[in-house]
Amino acid sequence: MIKFLLKGILRDKTRSLLPIVVVSIGVMLTIALSAYMKGAFGDMIDQNARFDTGHVKVMTRAYLENKNQMPNDLALLGVDSLAQSLRQDFPDYQWVQRIRFGGLIDVPDENGESKGQGPASGMAIDLLNESSGEAKRLNIETSLVSGALPTQSGEAIIGHDFAEKLGLKVGDEITYFGSTMNGSMTFQNFKISGTIRFGAAVMDRGAVVVDITDAQQMLDMQDGAGEILGFSKLNVYDDEQAGRMAEKFNAKYAGDSDEFAPVMLPLKQQNNLGEWLDYADMMSGIFVFIFILAMSIVLWNTGLLGGLRRYQEFGIRLALGEPKGRIYRNLILEAVLIGAIGSVVGTILGMAISYYVQVVGIDISGFLKNSTMLMPSVLRAKVTPELFYIGFIPGVLAMVFGNMLSGIGIYKRETARLFKELEV
Amino acid sequence: MTSETIISIENVFKRYPVGDGEFTALKDINLQFKRSEFAGLVGPSGSGKTTLLNIIGSLDSPTEGRAMVLGKNISELSHRESAWLRNKHIGFIFQVYNLLPVYTVFENVEFALLLQNIPADERKKAVMKALEWVGLADMAGKKPDKLSGGEGQRVAIARAMVKKPEIVIADEPSANLDAANTHAILKTMKKLNEELGTTFLFSTHDEKVMGYLERIVHLRDGYVEQDEIISPKSMTT
Repeated sequence: MIKFLLKGILRDKTRSLLPIVVVSIGVMLTIALSAYMKGAFGDMIDQNARFDTGHVKVMTRAYLENKNQMPNDLALLGVDSLAQSLRQDFPDYQWVQRIRFGGLIDVPDENGESKGQGPASGMAIDLLNESSGEAKRLNIETSLVSGALPTQSGEAIIGHDFAEKLGLKVGDEITYFGSTMNGSMTFQNFKISGTIRFGAAVMDRGAVVVDITDAQQMLDMQDGAGEILGFSKLNVYDDEQAGRMAEKFNAKYAGDSDEFAPVMLPLKQQNNLGEWLDYADMMSGIFVFIFILAMSIVLWNTGLLGGLRRYQEFGIRLALGEPKGRIYRNLILEAVLIGAIGSVVGTILGMAISYYVQVVGIDISGFLKNSTMLMPSVLRAKVTPELFYIGFIPGVLAMVFGNMLSGIGIYKRETARLFKELEV
Repeated sequence: MTSETIISIENVFKRYPVGDGEFTALKDINLQFKRSEFAGLVGPSGSGKTTLLNIIGSLDSPTEGRAMVLGKNISELSHRESAWLRNKHIGFIFQVYNLLPVYTVFENVEFALLLQNIPADERKKAVMKALEWVGLADMAGKKPDKLSGGEGQRVAIARAMVKKPEIVIADEPSANLDAANTHAILKTMKKLNEELGTTFLFSTHDEKVMGYLERIVHLRDGYVEQDEIISPKSMTT
């Protein structure tokens, strides 16, 4: 019977073509949008993790409360021993120290007079120690537009847009003006070893990256750091694991009322990223629901039209002795076949689009000119195994629901009128 | 050839609600048909021919009285049981051929057997035999839109006959055919009636069809006006 139904579906284009097109488009859009959402949110989360939050972050309670002000006067002290204990307690994670600092970059001319100035957002990382993995983690080498990574103390890399704005090039000297963790004024000269484009507008506009030992010296923060970031060695954020770690770590300091006691936060509890992750999941769910609903409505109507067109056929089948239940079941079986064909086509198209957007991406840098959010300039889709069924199942279900609703008419058909109806 | 009664209509009434009242389509019908009869219900429009065929074909049930078909009381059959009766024992031939347009001649005839879950090789043999009965074996692969009117009706006959039913109900089978085709299909049906012992029941007001009938039941306004035996075969008891 399935072969018989399949022949009907393949030969009768009006029975199959429109539903297959509708299902294909719906499944394709579901997959493409889900992949795009997943990719875009994933990129954003990943970028935040790499540049700001880590998979977990340790800081002082006071620093946490004033985090947006980059309050280095509230930074962690004794970080080497703290980092060592973190390495022992949580060996599956890599622990790195970072300092964020704000200040002014001054560009001197050949006479030492200021020829340009701009506000800078500084980040100090373990640049000179290759085993820290920081340069790789932040894609610094691959993101260099000109020059090279700092190889010695006193060198800095600077955002490419920032460098262009200040008329700087590799080899030029800049002077940093700011304040130490104790509140006194500090200034330090750096030689630009390279310019960089991070792919996050907020950083490209004003970032300066220096080695952490330079920053510690410059800011009077010996054995101090604003933050210690932990990254899973598998480089995958596991919210449950991060939550357990934070709980365990924080329990150690639960009885300590010192505002400088360290506190650990998982990624999801920072920068509203938890809300973003929940939002991404919710949006994906809404997309899938909307597409099932919309497709079901369209396919219901298509099924009703098809039912009208096949009114005679169903009448003949009833007269020949096919029970109503069997006709209805066969209609559902047809829906499964059509839904499956449409879903396969839609899945292939959706995956192709997703893969293209994953490789090429969509450049949104134009929208981020004034953004202060840490967002990637190019949003990419992410092809994941779940995309193979995220559209397929709704595609088949929508077709089945549509046909189930439209097929109810079969049960209302009066066999006593068949002769009259089939005379036409 | 046996002469058992396979259709027994006893004091059958059929009423339909019309507005606040009702319309009586059949009034106290009493008829019996024996195996291998070649009989027809004749009468003007509204005389009750189709209503009676509906009841005999288990598409409808009487409002009052008893209609027994192949030992089954039509009034007592569930939808599934009446579908099963049609599927196994009753063939239908319609005024228009009502072939499924997307399927070939072979597949249209095969459909009746698909409903009975008969294995593919048996189906193939039975379909080709049925097409040979109606002289269309060489057209098995054609689609219905490539057939003439007469050929289409012969496919419909093959579809009705392929499952070797005990009863074939033909509702105005010649209505859309010219004289030559009418004679051709009636000869085919008569031959099958004689060879297979199938009971044929027609509804018609076509004189050409009446010429082939062995028994004519005249209906008027829901009554049996006359039950006319034309040839001795149906008289056999």
